[in-house]
Parts: sequence; C-alpha cells; structure tokens
Amino acid sequence: MLFWFEIFKTFRRWRTYISFTVIALIVILTEVVMKLSAGEVVHRMLRPFQRDFLITGNILNAWFVTAFIMNSLHIHIPFLITLVAGDMVSSEATSGTIRFLLIRPPSRGRIITAKYLTALFYTAILVIFFALVCVLLGVPLFGSGDLIIHHYGKFDIAFIPESEIPLRLFFAFAAAIWSMSVVASIAFLFSTLAENSIGPIIGTMAVVIVFLVLGNLPLDFFRNMKPYLFTTYMINLWQQFLNLRIPWPEIGRSAIILGLHNVGLFLIAFFVFKRKDIKS
Amino acid sequence: MKKIWLGFCVLFLLWPHWTQAQEDAFRYLEPIEKKYAGLKDYTADGVVHFDIETFKAPDMGVKLYYKAPDKMKVESKRILFFPREGGFFNPSLFKKEGFEIKFLERFTYEGARAVKLQLTPQKPKRNTKEWVVTIDTDHNLIREIGITQYDGREIKAVIHYGTFDGFELPFHIRLTLDLPSFETEGPKEFDQWVQKPKRVTGTIDIRYSNYKVNRGLRDELFVNPEGEK
Repeated sequence: MLFWFEIFKTFRRWRTYISFTVIALIVILTEVVMKLSAGEVVHRMLRPFQRDFLITGNILNAWFVTAFIMNSLHIHIPFLITLVAGDMVSSEATSGTIRFLLIRPPSRGRIITAKYLTALFYTAILVIFFALVCVLLGVPLFGSGDLIIHHYGKFDIAFIPESEIPLRLFFAFAAAIWSMSVVASIAFLFSTLAENSIGPIIGTMAVVIVFLVLGNLPLDFFRNMKPYLFTTYMINLWQQFLNLRIPWPEIGRSAIILGLHNVGLFLIAFFVFKRKDIKS
Repeated sequence: MKKIWLGFCVLFLLWPHWTQAQEDAFRYLEPIEKKYAGLKDYTADGVVHFDIETFKAPDMGVKLYYKAPDKMKVESKRILFFPREGGFFNPSLFKKEGFEIKFLERFTYEGARAVKLQLTPQKPKRNTKEWVVTIDTDHNLIREIGITQYDGREIKAVIHYGTFDGFELPFHIRLTLDLPSFETEGPKEFDQWVQKPKRVTGTIDIRYSNYKVNRGLRDELFVNPEGEK
C-alpha cells in the first residue's frame, strides 16, 4: 500500500516525466539523424573492412541502432535516474512534509523501503521506456537483420544472428535495469543524507563520472583500481549479452557485485533514515 | 669508357635471354586463357566461412555472378562480407597483356608438374603490387595465387577445382590473410593509444556449388549493385 502511494506521488510530479521526454527526444533525434546519414554511419563503421571485403545487406538495422544508442546508457540515463531517485527523501525535507510523514502509523523502516522500491521501479520503467522507444521506432525506420558488433576503428567484428537478437536484447535491457539500480541506490542514499534535491543529483553524477573516468585512464594505477569501481561492472553487465558467446559466469559475478552494492547502499540509507533527526 | 662499353656488351648479350624468359613465362598463361575462352559468364552458390580471431561471423551464403572479362556481383539474403581479392574465379585476371612476368621456379604440385610465376602489373590494379601464381601445367589450372599489396597486405588463395558444365571451376577456395592493423582518423579509445597494433591473420574458406555457365547474363545485372558498400 505504501509502495503504491509512493508510486502515485512520484508519477504525479511533472518532474518525473522530464526523463521520459528527454529519452524520447534523444532516441528520436539519434534515429532520425542516423537514418538521414546512413551512408556516412556505415562508411565510418566499415572503413577497416571495405578495402578487403565487398559488403552487402542491411547493416544499419534497428538492432544495430539500438545497441549504438545503448552504448550511451551509462552517460545520460544515470543523470535522468538521479532526477527522481535523488529527490525521493530529500524532497520531503525540502517541502517540510517529512514530519507529517513520520508521525503517521507506518514505521520509518516501511516508509524508506517503500521509497527505495519506488526509486527502483522508476529506474526499471525508465529503461523499459528507453528500450521500447529504441525498438518501436527503430524497426519501422531501419528494418531488421543480423546485429554487427564492432570496435570502432579496429578490424574487430562479431555477428549475432537475427533470430537470437530479441532474447539477447531482453537480457541486455534487464541487465541495464540492474546496472542502473546502483545509480538509483547511490542517489537514494544521498537523498536521505541531504535536505535538498540538488546535492544528491550532483553528488551521484560526480561519483558516476569520476568512477567512469578513473576506470578508463590508461595507467596501471587506475587499471588496478578498476575491479573496485562499480562502474566497471555497471557497463560490462549489459554489454556482455551482445558478445558472440555470452559469458554467464562473468555476468553472474558482475550482477552479484552490483546487487551487493544495492544492498549495502540501501542498508546505509535505511539506518540513516531510521536515525534521522526531524525535530531540529 | 671501357667499363661502359663492357656494360653495354653484357646487356646486349643478356637481352635475348631476358626476353626469352618473358616469352617462356607467357606460354604458361596462354593455355589457361585458351581453356577458358569459352567461359562467358557463370553464376554459383557459395558459403563463406571465416576463421579470423577478430572476425566472429557465422557462415554466410552468397550468390556469385561473373561475366567476362571483369564483371562480378555478389548477392546475399543476409549481411555479407565477401573478400575482394582471390575470393572468386576470374579467368581473365591474368591475361598476359598488362603484366611483366617473371618465371620463378618449376616444381611438382600435388603430383602434377607446376610452375611459379611472378606477375607485376604494368598499370596499377587497385592496390596490388604483384601476384605470385602457381600454375598446374599438366591441367592448365591456377592452383595458388599469392597477392602482395603496397600497404603490406598479403593474401594467399589456394584453389581446388571440380568440373561444372564442361569447365573446371573452383569448388573450394581457401584464402589466408595477413593484413596490417587498421587505423582510422576517428576518436580512439584510451586502450588504443597504449596497445601496439597487431596484424590480422586468419583464413576464409569459400565453397562453391550449383554452377550455371554461359546463361547469357545481362550487363544490367552488374550495374549499381544494390546495397553494396
């Protein structure tokens, strides 16, 4: 009941729909521009191969475009998640409703759990919306076909047969939800610590960006640090489903590490909220 | 002055031998040219199998169209990567005109007498620097083609023949690739700056079947291949 009440509160706010609008805009713009400059996209992508191979077929298909847009998932989706997850508890403090909320019968534990589940629900809905827009717009615009995964500028390519793609994308988006739930958990924790919403949003984005940058610096010190950064597993998790052979053990390991992050972050948020002083 | 005269004399004495060697080399190509003079066009179904570490692709079906002397087209229901060099049989490729030909060696190839020739195009043909061709002189067949390109690409084709509609045509071509690493002008990933580029090596096997020879393929078939990149 509390959970649905929180869902109602969250989805009643216009701010919640900013994320959906932004995602729709990004996907529509990207797909339309890719459609208009299809030749350029394909030429750039296939440049290492064109000298040695005659290439035919629908390479720039809906699945390729979806995977292409998914590659930017770790940049713009975290920001859109923090807009709502970072506001879950702090908005109550900002608007002064936290005291009214906490003097009602439900315990603090139940309230914070309901709010956290709402943040996760919102994250899942956002990624599902992202997937639906990508695919529903992509299929009529670009058609279907095998999915080519390549590394830009390298002679490195993998084909995923068309028949396997829907299931793989389903898993990839499910993994993306799981990955993004860590971002939601960080934003949620910061939200319990702050009295306004700006801090959790900026704080979460700072953590994500710093971790992403550190994890990609080509120095041994940072390479050694990579296994300790949640962003390493966050990106790896869903991308593994678009490898030729799905590395299930590695996926399982990443999923467990991200899950432990979620549990740890939620427990901290739980105890912070339980001990929160609302009298001052 | 004496040395210059001596040089001229040596050149004068060697010239006939050199031209003789050219003539000898030509005579290995002529029978092949004659053998396939009646081959005006053909179509074949093929299956392309890749064994390249960085090219993970399932087997690809291909429909190949060829019309003499140099028209070629490939079609596929799905995405197709078809090797540009050495992947199909073109009997007109080594017409003796347009090449400087050097005889390299005579040897036995799979029980048949064979010669190896080095063909250097007089006018640049795409990026190819030279071909080294192994000819089975007993059967007048090109058994192997080694292609060396200016940018360090090396491709070797080994061809196995069957008889289709009265012509000996390949049923299997194995390409062995040794290609330089690729660089593009686009943005690089961090890793690309620190990794030493590796050469790309591997094999491509193409198996042909269902040949249809001299069916009168129209030129329009080869105009503006749909979707070809």
